Amino acid sequence: MSHLPVLELSDINKSYSDRKVLSGLSYSLSAGEYVAIMGDSGVGKSTLLNLIAGLDSPDSGEIRIEGKYLPVEDEAATSLRRKYLGFIFQAFHVLPHLTLLQNVSLPLLLNHLPLDRASIMLASVGLQGRERDFPHQLSGGELQRVAIARALVHRPRLILADEPTGNLDQDTSREILQLIRSEIKANQASAIIVTHSRPAAETADKILLLNRHGLAPVSLENRQ
Amino acid sequence: MRYLWILLGWLLFQNTLLSAPPVLAPVVPGKTFEFPEDHGAHPDFRIEWWYVTGWLETPANRPLGFQITFFRLATQTDNDNSSRFSPDQLIIAHVALSDPAIGKLLHDQKVARTGFGLAYAKTGNTDVKLDHWTFLRETDGRYQADIKADDFTMKLSLTPSQPLLLQGENGFSRKGPKAAQASYYYSEPHLQVSGAVSYQGKDIAVTGTAWLDREWSSEYLDPDAAGWDWISASLDDGSALMAFQIRGKDDSKIWAYAVLRDASGHVQTLTPDQVSFHPIRTWRSARTQAVYPVTTRIRTGETEWQIAPLMDDQELDSRASAGTVYWEGAVTLTRDGQPAGRGYMELTGYIQLLTM
Amino acid sequence: MNPILLIRWLLQGEWHSHRLQSIIAVLAIMFGVALGFTIHLINTAAVSEFSAATRSLSGTSDLTVRALRPTFDESLYPTLMQYEEVVQASPVLEITVGIPTRAETMHNPVLKILGLDMFRALSVTPDLLGVPAEDNPMDALADDAVFLSPAAMEWLSVKQGESIEVSMGTKQITLRVAGGLARAHTGQRIAVMDIGAAQWRFDQLGQLSRIELKLQQGANHTAFQEMLSKKLGTSYLLTESQDDDMRAHNMSRAYRVNLSILALVALFTGAFLIFSSQILSTIRRRSQFALLRVLGMTRRQLLYQLLLENGLLGVLGSLLGLALGYLLATMALHHLGADLGAGLFPGLKPQLHPDPLAAVLYFLLGIGVTVLGSLLPAWEAAHAHPASALKSGSEYTVLAALRVPRLAAACLLVGVIFTGLPPIDDLPIFGYLAIALLLTGSMAALPYLCGLLFSTLLRTLNSSKSNILYTLAITRLSNASGLAAIALGGILVSFSLMVAMAIMVTSFRISVNNWLAQVLPADLYLHPITHQDTRGFTPDEQQIITTHPDIARTDFIRSIPLTLDPARPDVTLLARPINQDDPGLTLPLTKNILPSDDIPPDTIPIWVSEAMVDLYGFKIGKRITLPFTTDPEQTFIIAGIWRDYGRIFGAIQMQLSDYRRLTGDNHASDAALWIKPGITIHTAVSALKALPFGDVLEIMETGQIRAVALKQFDRSFAVTYLLELVAIGVGLMGVAASFSAQMLTRIRELGMLRHIGLSKQQIRHMLTLEGGLLAGFGVATGFILGTGISLILIFIINPQSFHWTMQLHMPWTWLLLMALAVLGAAVLTAHATSRRAVSGNVIRAVREDS
Repeated sequence: MSHLPVLELSDINKSYSDRKVLSGLSYSLSAGEYVAIMGDSGVGKSTLLNLIAGLDSPDSGEIRIEGKYLPVEDEAATSLRRKYLGFIFQAFHVLPHLTLLQNVSLPLLLNHLPLDRASIMLASVGLQGRERDFPHQLSGGELQRVAIARALVHRPRLILADEPTGNLDQDTSREILQLIRSEIKANQASAIIVTHSRPAAETADKILLLNRHGLAPVSLENRQ
Repeated sequence: MRYLWILLGWLLFQNTLLSAPPVLAPVVPGKTFEFPEDHGAHPDFRIEWWYVTGWLETPANRPLGFQITFFRLATQTDNDNSSRFSPDQLIIAHVALSDPAIGKLLHDQKVARTGFGLAYAKTGNTDVKLDHWTFLRETDGRYQADIKADDFTMKLSLTPSQPLLLQGENGFSRKGPKAAQASYYYSEPHLQVSGAVSYQGKDIAVTGTAWLDREWSSEYLDPDAAGWDWISASLDDGSALMAFQIRGKDDSKIWAYAVLRDASGHVQTLTPDQVSFHPIRTWRSARTQAVYPVTTRIRTGETEWQIAPLMDDQELDSRASAGTVYWEGAVTLTRDGQPAGRGYMELTGYIQLLTM
Repeated sequence: MNPILLIRWLLQGEWHSHRLQSIIAVLAIMFGVALGFTIHLINTAAVSEFSAATRSLSGTSDLTVRALRPTFDESLYPTLMQYEEVVQASPVLEITVGIPTRAETMHNPVLKILGLDMFRALSVTPDLLGVPAEDNPMDALADDAVFLSPAAMEWLSVKQGESIEVSMGTKQITLRVAGGLARAHTGQRIAVMDIGAAQWRFDQLGQLSRIELKLQQGANHTAFQEMLSKKLGTSYLLTESQDDDMRAHNMSRAYRVNLSILALVALFTGAFLIFSSQILSTIRRRSQFALLRVLGMTRRQLLYQLLLENGLLGVLGSLLGLALGYLLATMALHHLGADLGAGLFPGLKPQLHPDPLAAVLYFLLGIGVTVLGSLLPAWEAAHAHPASALKSGSEYTVLAALRVPRLAAACLLVGVIFTGLPPIDDLPIFGYLAIALLLTGSMAALPYLCGLLFSTLLRTLNSSKSNILYTLAITRLSNASGLAAIALGGILVSFSLMVAMAIMVTSFRISVNNWLAQVLPADLYLHPITHQDTRGFTPDEQQIITTHPDIARTDFIRSIPLTLDPARPDVTLLARPINQDDPGLTLPLTKNILPSDDIPPDTIPIWVSEAMVDLYGFKIGKRITLPFTTDPEQTFIIAGIWRDYGRIFGAIQMQLSDYRRLTGDNHASDAALWIKPGITIHTAVSALKALPFGDVLEIMETGQIRAVALKQFDRSFAVTYLLELVAIGVGLMGVAASFSAQMLTRIRELGMLRHIGLSKQQIRHMLTLEGGLLAGFGVATGFILGTGISLILIFIINPQSFHWTMQLHMPWTWLLLMALAVLGAAVLTAHATSRRAVSGNVIRAVREDS
């Protein structure tokens, strides 16, 4: 177990036109840590995720993933993202014309890794035997399982999940959140989950509240 | 070569009906030759030639053979055809040069219809022209030949040194058993040649001796004739010999004739049965596969002549253009075993005739 | 290996889900490549055949001497032989004779006879020597013998030994087929005979057509040519064989270039189709691309992926196009001939030669066009912001990029400026560029115009009274005008081209018809079976015709070819009686004429066709000399310009009396007859047929000539009609493709409408209405654009490439029918595709995000 932080944010500033979204944000995420970020709409949760993913760059400040500075240049940022990050979206975003196995294999292909782990991951999210199905044959919960498998298949160091249960009913949400947690832990990855839902946030190790002053820990006393 | 054009002239009569066919003059005995008019062309007769053959010597005393021949041929063309291109008279010329150092003939030929001053055979005196080739008799009797062939040029002056030799009966020369098979024929032996030849990039001054044959006729070959052998020689002792035989298709002798004039001017003519040709050695042309009797024994009366070629390959192969193949070349003669002099021999009809 | 697998998966996925769109794109490319390749193949075959045939007539000649007149005096021949540099000079008399036995079945049945001196030709054109029968060697010189090429023997169905009847003017001559040719060019119909016989039998004593020269090896050809050209003066021409190639090339150039442009239009219509389908596909797959980007695909990888996808369509379409093009060319050569029915290369049967270089070129062009069409959408997709692209509704940002009113305005403006520029190298390059720019500009302006129109409509809409579906349709079209405009592009392009061609062809046809009425005032026209016959009617024969009791008035016309420029095809000189006081009564004059007072007494007035102005710079009042007179100093003045649709290489008219005085040539090529009142045309024709030379006459009634001319006109536009149909087909395919693609992008929107209470039927009505409104807008825009293009075709392209002008005539009924047809087809297409839009699971459609 390394004690090196997986993610370090130091003094991040970001504005859109005249609106300041993030100012002076600093945070350090330890390896194996699973945190939830909550906050009001428009406070910059998605912006923060985009910055971490390298899909957007901060006006100032530094982001380090596994000790490496996140570059501004797209090609380099993409290659870093491809290797170290995994994503789970609210809208699943599964390619409709690829089979489940092919969908899960995408990160392996992009990282030039052997493909055998794709079916292992599918099985581990409970979709064994459905490798050749197409996304339109699946329910929403099942689609999100595919997305979880895809997010973890290439053993990324950090998972970014943006409202992973936003499109799901309550029962399925609970199931999916458990799965996300167990899979992240099983793969020894760190994770940041952005959510509005308190029950969802509470599956994390730690809840952080994002407001205009930065990230502040929230007490987990009320955790059931 | 004479033979082939005679044959061709024969074919000209196999033509369709014309509105105004030309009328050809017959050859009849008893004609009195008139000179210089008879040196000129006789367009009323079907065929006519100026035929020069002879030996040349280079300053280095190397022997060369040469041949310059012009034919005039009247075709069967409608007299109503008033086009200046009307092909009523054709001029055909063959020239050749034999150099043993080369081993084969340098030769060239041309054919043209008369007209436009480009090709003609004038009457009155010898004046024939085919493009840039000319053969002209000057008023003093000297001939000027100017030939620019593809591979060589000849510019020769031929000066008579002996009187004309009228062949046959005062120039009426029979060519077959029928009376109509005859021509008007005279020769000029012992023409003294001087001038220049150039070939293979060399200009060479030459001197030598030549023989001119003049012959014209309208109808003269036996239909059974397959070829002929002919020889002329201006001999070292100042005498002149001419002999020919016309061979039938079965190789038999259809007609033969010879004349021998000694230096004093005494003429001996020989009848067909007194003249015979006997091949001794043949040469096969690798080009045409024709087999020629290049070394031959000729008997004229009691005299036996042996003929040997300056070189074996003196074949004219013009299948690519005129389509004719024959052997004509410089030869040496012995008379009854003694060297007698130099002459020219023509052997035709040894290959199947290809039409032009 | 892994990236290739990824590419393959994505390709397979796209192919499985959008087979139809892919097939349509492939078809569009295929048609474009096929048409271009076909036209190229046919033209190469025709031109190379024509050159080979011409060259075979010159053999190994180094230099050809000819006169500007058809024949010249033979005295030049011995003169040329005098030159040291000339090794051989082969005189040639070329005579075109008619074949009366073929006159029934064919128009202008002519055979070219070459009169040669075999002894001269032997070393210059040995292939053209006659081969007589073995037992008749002298037939080669016989004055009744002719030697025929295999093609000529086949055409005339004769064998060696048989006879043929040929005609020259009204004279008939029997020739004996004495044999074949040594080695004739395959398919070339040609005859050879002795030059003396030819001069005599065809009344051409003293005349030669040309002299082929063989020059000494090592002689300076250029210097000799210059020296000789100076010696011979301006009435003679010295040409080398490449000059003849040039002539052949120029002969069909205008026709060829114009056809090639039409093929390019088809190809670029295909490119546009690719472009529009790719834009739609990019919009549809926007979130997928964003996902791939998030998962770690670089921009470049994504761009390559998209270009590869389209490149594959291009490869497939191009390959199919090459195959189809070869097939079409074979069929067209077989059925229509080398000039596609335009009559430029008679007497030749060209063979199709595989042309690997051209094949590669058209292959690359097909791929290039495809890649070009997908470049912009692919670039946009690769550079879109992945995070925002993952969200729905972001496709409108793509379309914002397509709103380029400034570019559109610039294109249109430059296009209009280009219409004012002159041709380059006799080709209307700027005219075509103007059309391309107008098309591009209009397409670029479409989103803007579409938005403008429908937002105006929306504003004027009284929503309380209007139908809800109509309101919805207008609202959408107004707000999503970019998306709507994409569907429209196909209609705009194809319909505008259709309109342009229809207006141009109609204007042309009516102009030709009016012109025919003006140039054919007589009741009957007659000429010997060959055109521009050198002999024609003798003065005696003219007398017989003039004094015929049925004939009220006769105008004789002398027509001879003249070479004014060796690199161009011959012009025609027409000498006929022209009304001195008002030439406009005889000639279809276009401009003001030179008043007869302005014609100096020492000059002779001539009237030239429009082509002469463009090609030779003959302007009214200009004084020139012409090479047909015996006196080369005689000056002529251009007294007027007339319209000629018959001879695109130019024609000159003059008074017959002037011509006769200058040349001493009293023959006539054609006669125009007015019959006496009370006599029927039928009676007159029978009476003329009964003349001594009646059976070698071609007698045409004026109506008949007009019918034949218009038939030929329609035939030469047959290919154009075909291309138009293809363009419409491609356009409608585009409509179908973009409509159905839009349905898919709008699944969620339609699902929402279902949720708020619209019935399936209502949605289909709404979609059909949208389609109809959009198509109506497209048709209207297409009509305006098409009219603009037709003006360019009529007033720029035609005068510049064919050198004739015409008046504008609008085929209103036809245009209306076409508009309705396209509108109907578009509405039907919209209606048919709308079924798919309402067939899905609407609930699912609302929730699904991909």
